[in-house]
Amino acid sequence: MADPQDVKDAEPAPAPTERRPLPGAEPAALTTGRVRDARVRPAPKVPSWVLKIIMAVTGTVFALFVLVHMIGNLKIFMDPEHLNTYAYWLRTAFEPLLPYEGLLWIMRIVLLVCLVAHIAAAVMISSRARASRGTHKRRGMTNLRSFAARNMLVTGTVLLAFIIFHLLDLTLGKAVAPSGYQHIENGQAYAYENVVASFSRWPVAAFYMFALLVLFVHLAHGLWTVVQDLGATGRRTRAVGLFLAGAIPLAILLGNILIPIAVLTGVVK
Amino acid sequence: MRLTLEVWRQTDPADAGRFETHVVDDATPEMSVVELLDRLNESLVEDGREPFAFESDCREGICGACGVTVDDRPHGPQPNTPSCHQRLSSWTDGQTVRIEPLRSGAYPVVRDLVVDRSALDRIVQAGGHVAIQAGTAPDADTTPVDHALAEMALDFAACIGCGACVAACPNGAAHLFVGSKLTHLASLPGGREERGKRARAMIAEMEQDFGPCSSFGECADVCPAGIPLAAIAAVNRERMRVVLRGKND
Ligand code: HEM
Ligand code: SF4
Ligand code: FES
Repeated sequence: MADPQDVKDAEPAPAPTERRPLPGAEPAALTTGRVRDARVRPAPKVPSWVLKIIMAVTGTVFALFVLVHMIGNLKIFMDPEHLNTYAYWLRTAFEPLLPYEGLLWIMRIVLLVCLVAHIAAAVMISSRARASRGTHKRRGMTNLRSFAARNMLVTGTVLLAFIIFHLLDLTLGKAVAPSGYQHIENGQAYAYENVVASFSRWPVAAFYMFALLVLFVHLAHGLWTVVQDLGATGRRTRAVGLFLAGAIPLAILLGNILIPIAVLTGVVK
Repeated sequence: MRLTLEVWRQTDPADAGRFETHVVDDATPEMSVVELLDRLNESLVEDGREPFAFESDCREGICGACGVTVDDRPHGPQPNTPSCHQRLSSWTDGQTVRIEPLRSGAYPVVRDLVVDRSALDRIVQAGGHVAIQAGTAPDADTTPVDHALAEMALDFAACIGCGACVAACPNGAAHLFVGSKLTHLASLPGGREERGKRARAMIAEMEQDFGPCSSFGECADVCPAGIPLAAIAAVNRERMRVVLRGKND
């Protein structure tokens, strides 16, 4: 290593500053200290605070959906008929008030609208963040908390891929679905058989478990962000929010991850 | 102790800028980062070379003028401590200290370590003040303000406007700064009357220069005034309140 003293001595004295035009800057910047009055962006049509509320509401809808979905999934530990009857009930619920699959279609439409809004807002928020930060990125954040925060777009994209995979696998029974996939027939659902067939393929089970971990990371930071976005400033409200931002994702992770583990170990077959 | 310094050199706003390496042989642990720069500048001037431009004023943590990024962290490694109070005891003999300006797309570099923080001033001009006719000072206790509320307002009024929260934020957001102002001005009788109008104006101005908040929490770690993280939630709270209330107060 070179002696630091050498570095100092080797440093050439900076060339005298010549006056030259300062693109994008006030000519008097060096004397007034004001470089420009131009803003980073004109007042945005959809303000960022609105985008953040959209993210918070749609993200919370997802979180509640996944929580209820997880509780339904636990029926797999009762007996096959329990899960299958539940799966069929979801399609016939509130008949004749709602048509066949009425409840499911309402949920699908709400979730799809939320997904589109969530992703659109995420993209806009990220691009504004990048512009406001400028060319010198923040460096040196290594703690665990910032890991989740920094990777929201990455974990979100994994979740999107997972959602598509999951729909093909267990809802549509196409492409990635197990070879013995059984569609609903004559009032009989085969949710139990399909789940077991799918998770018996270990790479699929591994992908599910990975996606659940990713969901945990995304939700743990996401729900904590909801606390800020919905304006919770009180000490107690924030403490409750912080607790729920840990507890809800943890419950979703544990409840769901038991299923592929149970199938792989033969507890459920 | 002997420290190697990598200091940002940028002749003017249009210059791309670069790090220069220098050595300070006679640094002492009780010196501050700002004093380290003083020492470096003295030796540069002795050698007939250009000193580094940087800002400082009070050197006791109350004015908010100082503020440089030290080893990738605004103000330096000690949490909640301004650059003028960051002691060199955070480093040991032979280590390297890297000093660059506070970084944000909203803070163009004027020269070397000096940045233009007028984007923060514009937010304050937009509404971070009390613009009502308050009359002469009222008699004590004619307008009761309970002690806990007054203390809370003071906690949030402690912001010294250094701008480090923005430089700490990967999104370049100014929520800690804006939230601290919105909170303390909304708490006390004088400022309360323009609560809604102020939130609308300050947040509209903020959004043109600063980023959205993603709850990284980095701001509250570096803030020399110890503004609580809850301030960032006050931005959306105050903004939603105007929508629901639809009035200027
Ligand atoms: C489908 C692809 C997804 C993408 C690209 C995505 C992306 C993001 C991003 C970038 C954020 C951070 C916004 C910010 O604070 O700056 C975020 C927040 C959030 N996401 Fe997602 N996400 C996706 C799916 C999901 C899913 C499936 C869930 C729930 C199960 C979810 C729940 C949340 C929550 C609760 C937040 C916090 C909202 C807020 O900012 O207040 N996201 N998402
Ligand atoms: S909130 Fe803290 S870090 Fe931000 S400008 Fe005020 S004193 Fe500086
Ligand atoms: S010089 Fe005044 S706060 Fe550091």
